[in-house]
Amino acid sequence: MSQIIDARGLSCPQPVVNSRKALEAHDTIITIVDNMTAVENIRRMAASMKCIVSEEKKVDGFYITIDRPSGEPGNPSQSAAAIDSSCPGSVGRVLVISQDVMGKGDDALGTILIKSFFHTLAETAPVPKTIIFFNSGVRLVAEGSEVLEDIRALEKSGAAILSCGTCLDYFKIKDKLGAGKVTNMYEIKDLLIGGPAVTTI
Amino acid sequence: MKESPSYHVILFKSVNQTMWADKLLKDKGIPHKLIPVPRTISSDCGVCIRIESGIIDAVLVEVEAIDGFTGIVRV
Repeated sequence: MSQIIDARGLSCPQPVVNSRKALEAHDTIITIVDNMTAVENIRRMAASMKCIVSEEKKVDGFYITIDRPSGEPGNPSQSAAAIDSSCPGSVGRVLVISQDVMGKGDDALGTILIKSFFHTLAETAPVPKTIIFFNSGVRLVAEGSEVLEDIRALEKSGAAILSCGTCLDYFKIKDKLGAGKVTNMYEIKDLLIGGPAVTTI
Repeated sequence: MKESPSYHVILFKSVNQTMWADKLLKDKGIPHKLIPVPRTISSDCGVCIRIESGIIDAVLVEVEAIDGFTGIVRV
């Protein structure tokens, strides 16, 4: 008896995430989706796990049968970040804020630009998957920052807010962190290397 | 979550004057936010100051005299 995953009506990357989870516990699953993009994303995920895939188009959706060969780990090589980045126009992007101003040249102007940037980021889709703050960028996440409200709004919309602990410590604002959580160089490295697209400010 | 309030934006001729007004309002403790000029108003990459519509009068007193003040628009 195959495990059935009904992923109709779910938006990317949920069908992939749900299927992947089910494959950790079952050797054979049938995922039902309602669009071709989801079919292709699941096909890719299954291929990365060396699974055998077959599809059948029925009136009420695409039925994708995924067989995990015995011996293949149910723990796929594809990271969650890679899954997210497979969704076009979605939230896969990692945003790096490396300073408390936007651009180099004039800091007064850079302050205006970063305020304008965070306002726009918070008001318009898509929301980045993760925002990493390091060096003087961490000042933006501290109490008293003029963009803290925007950062909190982004966090509410699903963005992971990560601030470099070393940097908070250096600027002596560890106790003033106003959003998200503290991170370390290992996590920063994992997010920057081998994950989805990275944009650095 | 607040009910979405109505806003006005204050426009200046240059970014320097907008920065000046931003600082002035901050020093006076008048709530405002520096934002990009809404696309509906201009396609230029400019910045302006957004305030809640309820405090227009108090803000106008402060900013009207600033050089380059061009107007206040409901958004």
